Amino acid sequence: MDQFIVNIVHRPEMVPEYAEKVTGHGRSEDLGRKALLTESLDIFKTQQECAHKNGLKTTIQMTYASLFNEEAVQLAKEHHEKYGDEIALTLLGLPCEQFREKYRTKDFCIWMFSMEDKEAIVRDVFEKFHDAFGFYPESTGSYYMDADLINFIKAEYPSVKCAVATCWEEGPKAYHTCNNSWYTFMDGGPWAPWIPSKVNTHAPASCEAEDSGIVAIPHLSRDLLACYDGNGSNFGTHPQNVLRGMIYDTSTWEYPYLYNLIDQYRSLARYNNGYAYNMMFVGPGWMNKMGRWEQPYELLLKSYEDGCAYYGKLKKEGRLTDMTMAEFADYYREKKTYTEPECALWRDILYGSDKQLFWYCDPYLRACVNMDQGGAIVDLRPYAAKLEWPVGIGTPHIQDASYPFLIQEKYRAGYFTHYAGEGTVRSAKVCWNGEEVDLCLCRTKAHFSTGDGEKVLTMDPVEIVFDGGLRVTLQTTVTFPEGSGEILHTRKILSMSDPGESVTIREYMVGCYGTTEYTEDMSSLTLRVSAGEQTETIPYEYKCREAALDNADAVSCTLPPIKTLVTMEADCAARRGFVREGYAFSPMFTLGFDCEVKENEEVSTWLRLERAD
Amino acid sequence: MAQAGKGRLNYRCPSCFMRDIDMDMFYDSERGEYYCLRCQYRGDEADVLAKNEMARFRYGAMMRRFTFED
Repeated sequence: MDQFIVNIVHRPEMVPEYAEKVTGHGRSEDLGRKALLTESLDIFKTQQECAHKNGLKTTIQMTYASLFNEEAVQLAKEHHEKYGDEIALTLLGLPCEQFREKYRTKDFCIWMFSMEDKEAIVRDVFEKFHDAFGFYPESTGSYYMDADLINFIKAEYPSVKCAVATCWEEGPKAYHTCNNSWYTFMDGGPWAPWIPSKVNTHAPASCEAEDSGIVAIPHLSRDLLACYDGNGSNFGTHPQNVLRGMIYDTSTWEYPYLYNLIDQYRSLARYNNGYAYNMMFVGPGWMNKMGRWEQPYELLLKSYEDGCAYYGKLKKEGRLTDMTMAEFADYYREKKTYTEPECALWRDILYGSDKQLFWYCDPYLRACVNMDQGGAIVDLRPYAAKLEWPVGIGTPHIQDASYPFLIQEKYRAGYFTHYAGEGTVRSAKVCWNGEEVDLCLCRTKAHFSTGDGEKVLTMDPVEIVFDGGLRVTLQTTVTFPEGSGEILHTRKILSMSDPGESVTIREYMVGCYGTTEYTEDMSSLTLRVSAGEQTETIPYEYKCREAALDNADAVSCTLPPIKTLVTMEADCAARRGFVREGYAFSPMFTLGFDCEVKENEEVSTWLRLERAD
Repeated sequence: MAQAGKGRLNYRCPSCFMRDIDMDMFYDSERGEYYCLRCQYRGDEADVLAKNEMARFRYGAMMRRFTFED
């Protein structure tokens, strides 16, 4: 039987994010303001009550500030005894008078501190927790937990087995939504729980040697279509985020989208060996008495009560299991293997477009396949590189914790570009008699299946009509062999209006690297095409060059800045492999194969990701 | 003229919201209108509410309850 698990996390945050800034408008900052402290604890109590009255246990993540508050500590102890709530410790909610006095900074995001400060703060907070409760926590977290931080915590406090460790696709989009003032850049990670590698939190561990020792959970369960396209903070299992997105009826205060989102996550069990997961974690600042943006307090409260009531209803119906974070970590370790992928065939539940995306994540890659673009890959992260990427003050990436992409259709264009150049995408063109049609323009739907150690996505056939009169019906299959770092695309010509004709299928990938919209220096990249003993090489110099070889074995690009080698190979008798350098206005590279095929023939191409030092 | 403040609720600029920017507006009590610091939008509360409804145009399935059994 499928199992749908929810973690409900609450934190008594004595100075809630937003509250001091928003409700305190017009007064000088005062983190010790009594009214603020009182209201903060009241919100925590309300959240706990919402969960408990629906029969749900929670994970209470104590904040540093709350450890100085005897009432908050006492409440946690009582609720642990009475409801089985886990008493855990978050690294969110650092700001308070005591923290400011000790660390002399307004920084509050643990991953952005220097390593020296991270270690001091962790010791301080964990020991303070121990003083209050007499034990060390089993769960912790923040919006992001970098690998060095996790490794340090695990070494110092081995009791920790679970952590909130990323916010899915919270990067430049969230930054822009906040008028370029919200410095959480953490795109490119898993959307569902995973075991982080010791080297890079976002890249899952492939084996015990790489295992960081914790199970990571995402901060919220986010809409895998809406968050990819828009502001992540509007489309998650956070009722007030749904209100922030204005996704509710203003007259009735109804928001079916919230339930659709929970239900779609529930449905992901069919792709993941009968297991599905949800996480709800609403900071107290979202339920303050002054309201939040357009929403009065009454609506904020209603939405949280409704969210808990829906989880409670599912539990009563036997369709949901509530766990604490520590309980979930144990469950996850039992349930999943290192290389078992996480899959999600996601449908649009908000815009009415009927679009489908397929997300795949394993220790070697994360990929997004877009069925509205014929099964093109529109996002690709090479986890195979297990890229060392320290973050925080004193590192090359003070704020940017995102795992770099090779393909990202929103930041580096996809099929469509303005005027000139190309955008990043992995697709194919069907060419005949001087005409070419890109499969990105063939909207289709996909069906998921599990093969022998592989996940398979089979598209509905699409028809290509050439002006010259030829009609071609083609079917695409995308296969992810487990634990391989490879993606196999197969195109089969099901029929042609003139069976005697042949067409060229041009399999290609346009790539680059980066974590934002803006281009990086491509000068260190090297493109190669090889056929037997023959190899042509292009060191990237923005000169718009191309190299091609008949019967090529492989085409590849080495990207030293992200320690990645991406290779494409093709399986067809008549083929020509090519590599293309970009130019200043189009700073991309292209790998591809031209393959001749006839009716009932097929072309298979592999994209392989490896670490390259 | 006194400085602007916040209104009854903390309205965001509907014009910026439609381009995925959450921008708090401030209230000019003399003119009786909210205005955006970033763009050129300004309007009274009724106009803000009307434009917020307009911003929902993209949510074509906002009120539809899906089933996932199929």
